[in-house]
Amino acid sequence: MNDKNGIKEILGLLARLTLGGVFIYAGLIKALAPAEEFGYAIESYKLFGAGLALWIAYIAPWIELYAGLLLAGGVFTRWSALFTGAMLVFFEFLLGQAWLRHLPVTSCGCFGSTGSNSLGHEFIQNLGLLLLAWGAFKYGACCSADRAVEKL
Amino acid sequence: MIERKNARLLAFAAFIIFVSTIGVLLARQLNVGPVRPSPAFRTIGPEKAPVQIFEYTDFACPACRAAAGKIEEMHKVFGDGLRVSFKHYPLLNIHPWSLHAAAYADCAGAQGKFREYAALLFENQAKWGQAKSKPAEFKAFAEQLKLDWPAMEACSQAPETLKVLKLDIAEADMKGVNATPTFFINGKRAVGSGQLIDQAMKFDNLLRSAGKP
Repeated sequence: MNDKNGIKEILGLLARLTLGGVFIYAGLIKALAPAEEFGYAIESYKLFGAGLALWIAYIAPWIELYAGLLLAGGVFTRWSALFTGAMLVFFEFLLGQAWLRHLPVTSCGCFGSTGSNSLGHEFIQNLGLLLLAWGAFKYGACCSADRAVEKL
Repeated sequence: MIERKNARLLAFAAFIIFVSTIGVLLARQLNVGPVRPSPAFRTIGPEKAPVQIFEYTDFACPACRAAAGKIEEMHKVFGDGLRVSFKHYPLLNIHPWSLHAAAYADCAGAQGKFREYAALLFENQAKWGQAKSKPAEFKAFAEQLKLDWPAMEACSQAPETLKVLKLDIAEADMKGVNATPTFFINGKRAVGSGQLIDQAMKFDNLLRSAGKP
């Protein structure tokens, strides 16, 4: 492995761990709070009815948590990175349409009810996370469970 | 070879998912996780008090009425060492007007008289708790405290008021609360005023040192 590849691998690992950590935190903080709290945040995007928003609120935190753990652990790394990336694209769609429609979203629901930045800020932040997902997809194999299993 | 590798990874993924699920469910039961603050009018005591009590209460429940007295006493004794935050947990299956009472109390709180209105609800719970139709006491208490009744009526039906109540109930359900009053004293669960005093004794040193001038 030459130096250039080594740096790419380290950056890929950092991207994988950072993005995985963000998803673990986001999932955990919502899974430990009442689903109704997150459900109200989802409702404020005006795309889903109250019933569907609540179902999403029950399920989404667990998916975020599992996706984050699998990505951070490097289990099916490329698929995990792809999946988290797809989730981020969906979040971007939610944030973007609310931003364009000037919806009064007081809590984006991104990290529970512990406070929320403006929609624009969250949108840009998610673009950064998407970049991490790309890094993890492309170069995230270092120190992964995938590699460890290969060596067994 | 690839199949074996994938099978191992799948087993590892299943293990991670299983362990994390159990961990989160346990954390919920042990009351670990973010604490949703009560509105300011539903709290007594300084924000940084060393002993923080969250009380899930129902205005029609006799044990909650007794506990309210204990909380008042504790607050007089321990002063700034204690912060009490009230959360609503109306037992709708046995107390048909508890949710209304909670909404009106919050709306009285919006007009600066939560504690006074709550005290009247507790004192007179026998009169309104099991009423067949909407109790006249809700309005009478508001008038007694010189509150703006039309504003309270509008507030009690506002989605924002109901949202706060629903979140209190959902939070209590998630923490496994199924009786009132249930307290969390620095995260430790206590049900009824007997257990409250018992748990609070464990924080006696903290309470006394903070209460000293």
